[in-house]
Amino acid sequence: MILDEVAFASLAAIAVVTALAALLVRELVHTILWIAVFFVTLSGIYFLLAAPFLGVLQLGVYAGAVTILLLFGVMVTRKRIFSREAATGIGPAALVLASVLGILVVVSASGVPTQEVPIRGYDVTVLSTTLFNDDGAWLLLLGLTMLGALAGAIYLVREGRE
Amino acid sequence: MTSLPPVDFLALSGALLAIGIFGILTRRNFILLLISVEIAINAAILNFVVFGAYAGTPAGVSGQAAAIVLIGLAATEVAVGLAIVLALNRARGSINVAEATQLKL
Amino acid sequence: MFPLAVLVPLAPALAFIVIGLGGERLKRLESGGWIAVAAAFVALAVSLLVAWAELATPGHFSDSSYTWLSIRTTAAPFPSGLSLVMGVLVDPISALMLIVVNVVGAMVMLYSIGYMHHDKGLPRYYAELSLFLTAMNGLVLSDNLLEFFLFWELVGVCSYFLIGFYYERPSAASAAKEAFLVTRVGDVLFLLGIFIYFATFATSGGGAGWAASGFKFASGSVPFLPPHASTPLLTVAGLMMLAGAAGKSAQFPLDVWLPDAMEGPTTVSALIHAATMVAAGVYLLVVVSVFIGFTPDDQLAIVAVGGFTTFWAATMAVVQTDIKRVVAFSTVSQLGYMVLAVGAGFSMVGLYHLFTHAFFKALLFLAAGSVIHAVGTQDLLKMGGLKKQMPVTRWAFIIGGLSLAGFPLFSGFFSKDDILGSVVTAAQSHPMYWPFVALAFAGTFLTGYYIFRAYFLAFEGDQPRDSSLPHAHEGPWVMQLPLIVLSGLALLAGYLIFSPAFDSLFIQIPGTALHLPPTYGTFDLELSALSVALGLSGIGVAYALWGNGRVFTWAADSPVQPLRTLLLQRYYVKHGVDWLGRRVIYTGARAADFVERFIIDGTIHGFERSFAALSDRMRRVQTGVVSDYAAYVVAGVVGLLVLLMYLAPWIVAALGGS
Repeated sequence: MILDEVAFASLAAIAVVTALAALLVRELVHTILWIAVFFVTLSGIYFLLAAPFLGVLQLGVYAGAVTILLLFGVMVTRKRIFSREAATGIGPAALVLASVLGILVVVSASGVPTQEVPIRGYDVTVLSTTLFNDDGAWLLLLGLTMLGALAGAIYLVREGRE
Repeated sequence: MTSLPPVDFLALSGALLAIGIFGILTRRNFILLLISVEIAINAAILNFVVFGAYAGTPAGVSGQAAAIVLIGLAATEVAVGLAIVLALNRARGSINVAEATQLKL
Repeated sequence: MFPLAVLVPLAPALAFIVIGLGGERLKRLESGGWIAVAAAFVALAVSLLVAWAELATPGHFSDSSYTWLSIRTTAAPFPSGLSLVMGVLVDPISALMLIVVNVVGAMVMLYSIGYMHHDKGLPRYYAELSLFLTAMNGLVLSDNLLEFFLFWELVGVCSYFLIGFYYERPSAASAAKEAFLVTRVGDVLFLLGIFIYFATFATSGGGAGWAASGFKFASGSVPFLPPHASTPLLTVAGLMMLAGAAGKSAQFPLDVWLPDAMEGPTTVSALIHAATMVAAGVYLLVVVSVFIGFTPDDQLAIVAVGGFTTFWAATMAVVQTDIKRVVAFSTVSQLGYMVLAVGAGFSMVGLYHLFTHAFFKALLFLAAGSVIHAVGTQDLLKMGGLKKQMPVTRWAFIIGGLSLAGFPLFSGFFSKDDILGSVVTAAQSHPMYWPFVALAFAGTFLTGYYIFRAYFLAFEGDQPRDSSLPHAHEGPWVMQLPLIVLSGLALLAGYLIFSPAFDSLFIQIPGTALHLPPTYGTFDLELSALSVALGLSGIGVAYALWGNGRVFTWAADSPVQPLRTLLLQRYYVKHGVDWLGRRVIYTGARAADFVERFIIDGTIHGFERSFAALSDRMRRVQTGVVSDYAAYVVAGVVGLLVLLMYLAPWIVAALGGS
C-alpha cells in the first residue's frame, strides 16, 4: 500500500539523517537529542515490520534507558566536551570503507531467499513462548551477561581508583 | 501488513551500518564512539527483524526473539562502556580516544 | 689373532703416554728418557724377531687386519660394498724397514740420554720422540694406503714438534712451520693420488678383494690392473705419489725444508731427517711400485726428480760451513739416488740403499752431534784438530764418510754401486734416462768431496781455528756406544747382499700378481771402478784443499764468487717462493677479501638493513589508537566479504571444482 511506502520512506530518511546528525554536530548534548530521535524512528520501523512488541521495547530500552545513560555520561564527563574533538585523520578513507562494507552487506543479504508474502503480525504469546522455550538459553545467557556487566561496571567506577 | 520488498529495509540497515562504522573509525570522543556503536548495533538488530518478518511463521518469530536478546545485550554494553568512560575520565581528565594509546609497541 | 708385530709401535706408544703424563716427576730416570730407551729397545727386539721370522721364510707374508668401517651396498661404484681396514702387513719389505727404523731409533734414543742431558723440556722431547717411533713403525706396518697416510701425517706432526723443540728460537719455530707446510703440499697431492687409486681399484669388477677393501696393498689373487683402468689417470696418480714422496723425502722442488730442519736437536736430525721419516717417501714409492705399479711416464718423472735432486743437493753441500747442513744436504742427495733407482724400476735396489744409508747417515749425524756436544759450535771453520781429542768420533765419522762416498767394501759401496749399475742398465732401454744417470755419477764425485771437506775441517789440523773453543773430549758412554754400533753396521750392513735373506726380497710371491721388480742389475766391474774412482778423486780434491788444517778460500774478486753465492743462497729458490707468495697469492687473497667483505657481506648487510627498515616502517601501524585498529578490522572484513562473494566462485572454477 502506498501508505506503507510513504511511511517507510519517511522513516528511513529520518533515521539516516538523525544518525548522521548525531555524529556530526558540535555539541555533545545535541548529539544525545538527535540519537533519541533516531531510536524513536527505528521503533516506528519495527512497527512497520509487524513487530509491535519489539517497537515498544525499543522505545523503552533505547529511547528511554540508553538515552538517559548516555546523557548521564555526557553530564559527568563535562570538562571539555563542548568542543567536538577533531576527527581522526582517516575521514575520507573511513567513509569509503564504511560505504563499501555497507554495500557488500546489502548485496549479500539480498541474496537470501524470502517468502513473497505480505508480512503478518504475531501474537505476543507466540513470541514469548518461543523466547522462553526455544531460545530460553539465550535469555539465561543474557541475564548472566548483565550480571557480569553490573559487577564490572561497579568495579570500574569505584572510588579509590587511580 | 507491508508488501515492501525486503531489499528496502536491507538497504536502510546497510546504510545505518555504514554510518555506524564511519563513526567508529573517525570520532575521537569516547561517548560519540559509543553512540556510533549503538547505531551499528541497531542496524544489525533491524536486519534480524527484517528477516524474521519475511521468513513467515513459524520460523520468523525467532527473528524477533533474537532481536529482544540483542537489544538487552546492547544496552548492557552501553552501560559498561560508560563505566569505562568514567574511569578513563578520572584517570586522564579527558575522553579523547586518541590519547589512550598505551596498547602499542 | 694378535700379530706380534703390533708390539713394535705399541711399546713406544706406551712410553709416550707414560712420559707425557708424568715425565716431570721422573728426574731420576732422566725425565723419562730411560723409559723411552727401554721402549725403543723392546721395539727393536720384537722387530728383529719379526723380521727374522719373515726373511727366513722366503715368499711369505702375513697380513692381519681389522675392519673399522664397513658399508654394505650394491650401488655403484662399490658393487660389493665398501670396507676400510686397519691392518698389519709383514712382508720382506716392511721387515727390512722395521730393522732400519728400530735399530736407528734405539741407538738415537740411547744417545739422547747423553746428548740432551743439559737441555730443558726433556719429558716433551722423549715423549715426542717415542710418539715418532710409534708413528714410523705404524707406517711401516700398514697394510693399506689410508692407514699409511694416517701414520704419514702423524710422522709429519712429530717432525714439526721436534724441529721446533727449541721453540723459543724464532728460527726454530719458523723452520718447523716451513717443514710442515712444504710437506703439506706433497701430502695434499698424495691424498689426491690415494683417491684416484681408490676410485680406480675399488670400482673394478676384478674380484671382491679390491672392491671390498679399497685401499689395501695386496689382497690375494687379484690382477693388479683392472682391465678398464685408464693409463692417463694412473699416470696422474703415480705423479701424486711422487709428489707426496718428494715432500716427505725432500726432493726437488720440495727440498727447501730439510736443511732448515737442522734447527732441531742433532739427535732428531739423525733419527728423523736421515734415516726414517725422509725414508718414508722412498718407502712409499717402493710399496706403490711393488703393489700397484707405475706407468712408464711416471717412471721417467721419478727418475728425473731423483737424478736431478742428487746433483742439485750435492752442489749446495760443497759450500756449507755448518756441519749439520753438510750432512743434511747429503741426505737429500742420497735420497735422490734411492728415488732414481725406484724410478728406473729397481725398487729393491733403492730399498737396499735406504737400508745402508740409514745406518751411515745416522752415524754421521751422531758423530756430528758428538762434535757439537764437545765444542759447542756447529761452524766448521772454527773447528780443527779434533782427531786427537775425540778418536772414537773421528773414526766414526771416517767410517760414515767412506760409506757415503762409496769406498770399496763399506756398505755404501755395495748399495750405491747397485743403484748406478741398475740405472745404467735401465737407461739402455730408456735413453731418456741418460742425463739423469750422468747427474748421478757427477754427484758421486761431489759426495766424496763435500763429506771429506767436512771431515778435514773438523778433525784434521793441530788445533781449532777458533781458540776460544772449549777443550774437546768424548761424550759419555751412552753417546759412544751408539756410534760404535752404527759404525759396525755401516761397515757390515752392505754384506746383507750376500745373505739368503736378501733374496727373499725378490721372490715372486705365489698366488699373487705382486708386481715385484727384477733383480738388481748385473755387477759391472767397469762401472764400479768408475764410481769408486769418482769418489776417491772427490776425497783427493778435498784433501788437497782442506787437509792438514788448510782452509781454502777463493779470492774476493774471483769469477767463482757469484757461483758460490748462488749455492749458498740455495739457488734463490726460497726467494722465488716468497715472491710468488707476496705478489701472486697475496694479491689473490686481497681480491678474495674484497669480494667477501663488500659483495657477499654487503649483500647480507643489505638484507639486514632492508629488513630492519621494513620492520621499522611496519611498527608504525601500531598507533595505540583503538579507532585505527577498528579500521583495520573493518578493512579485513570488507576484504573477506569481497573474497567470499566475488572471488570465491572464480577460484573454485579455476581449480576445476563446482
